[in-house]
Amino acid sequence: MSGERGGGRGRGGKKDDKDKGKGERPRGGGFFRRRRVCKFCADKIDYINYKDVRLLSPFIPERGKIQPRRISGTCAKHQRALQTAISRARQLALIPYVTD
Amino acid sequence: MSQIRQYELVYIVSPDASEQAIAELHTQVEQIAQRYNGTLDKTENWGRRKLAYEIGHAREGTYVVETISGSGEMVKEIDRRLRVTDTIIRHLIVRVDDDLRVADRLRSERKATQARRRTARGLPPEPLPTERRGDRDNDDSDDLGLEGSEVQR
Repeated sequence: MSGERGGGRGRGGKKDDKDKGKGERPRGGGFFRRRRVCKFCADKIDYINYKDVRLLSPFIPERGKIQPRRISGTCAKHQRALQTAISRARQLALIPYVTD
Repeated sequence: MSQIRQYELVYIVSPDASEQAIAELHTQVEQIAQRYNGTLDKTENWGRRKLAYEIGHAREGTYVVETISGSGEMVKEIDRRLRVTDTIIRHLIVRVDDDLRVADRLRSERKATQARRRTARGLPPEPLPTERRGDRDNDDSDDLGLEGSEVQR
């Protein structure tokens, strides 16, 4: 468990170069601060169920794209599982592919 | 020859279909499963739900989730049958036994680790419901401290 968390932190160094492309990020208010802890590790969710829209929806911003790991803080293992779950949910029209 | 595996089948029935038609589809699936010596473990009807996007002019549909155990041939036949059925606008079959087994193993491993650590600290292996998760809070504050230092950089 601690190994996975360590992995999550290890990526922290990479985020600096991502930030400059995005420009100023609104501080406080609507944008929530990046979490460094994987939600699935913290809540001990072993199986990411594709039918559980409420579980998946925090990782799908308005546009309908999957939130990248550097923002959500999800660990690699769970991001992979999340990816599969989201594509399945999309096939079943539980989640949109795109929203304009 | 063919192994028994557990699958999850989700299908979306067109909104024009009657209750009876939905029940018929269910029995059809059951019959196919039985023909291939499979079993239908669980059925769940979510009822009418709005679709996230339009599928061939349908804006909503009835979701049915079935858990089936059986061989790969059975799944092939069910898949084929659902594909040619007009009232079904979308279906998905997922093999779940492996994922559930992994999830199960992780859960039991975590429980074992917890029990071992707790006995090492001289506590009963199972946490009492009244117990506060003190160690968890410490963990969180530690993470927050780290995050703060990162942000300053």
